[in-house]
Amino acid sequence: MQIIHLAAEAATQVSQVSGNLGVLGYGLAAIGPGIGVGLVVSKTIESIARQPELAARLQVTMWLGIAFTEALALIGLATPFIFAA
Amino acid sequence: MFDSLSTVMARVLKLGSLLVLAIALLGALIGYLAIGVSGVYAALIGSAAAFLFTALTALSVLIGSKLNLAGFLGAVLGGWLVKMVLFLIGFSMLNRAEWLTRESRPIVFFTVVAAVIGGLVIDTMIVSKARLTSSEEKP
Repeated sequence: MQIIHLAAEAATQVSQVSGNLGVLGYGLAAIGPGIGVGLVVSKTIESIARQPELAARLQVTMWLGIAFTEALALIGLATPFIFAA
Repeated sequence: MFDSLSTVMARVLKLGSLLVLAIALLGALIGYLAIGVSGVYAALIGSAAAFLFTALTALSVLIGSKLNLAGFLGAVLGGWLVKMVLFLIGFSMLNRAEWLTRESRPIVFFTVVAAVIGGLVIDTMIVSKARLTSSEEKP
């Protein structure tokens, strides 16, 4: 019974959130690319450690991976221009 | 004849800038016809922002490749972090700018999207055609 009461209270508080919601939008736009770039870089380090002679090729491939991932971040940062209230 | 990492990046920056120039001109024309002078500004800002954003990554890889592995990661990841913060501040300031009219703001967004996607197509084409050597001496 108490849980239901707490849930109802939390729901009321959420509906009262005020301020600029764009900040949340930026947070969400940064999480995905942040994880993505981290994965790309960690796998590149792993690969260079295994085969250092392939470093140049792996660095270019890593850059391509980062370019694709950060495209999402840039589009996320630019969304206020189209979704502004 | 093999390509080095720097020639690939130089090619990316050269072709990328040509593409962004084309998108800026097209966007400016559409913006002018649809909205007016503010539309031209919006198209130029959008394409310049997209080019700066993508070119800085290519530049950080180019600079980082001359360093050791830790230096490379510092240049690429540190550059990425600083760039994200600067762009967040820049876009936030631009979003509050009064000289950029409300009607012209979607043009900023669409030129950014066009330049980013076009840039990715060029990047992929250049990397897939590059003949990178598999034994490059690292310092």
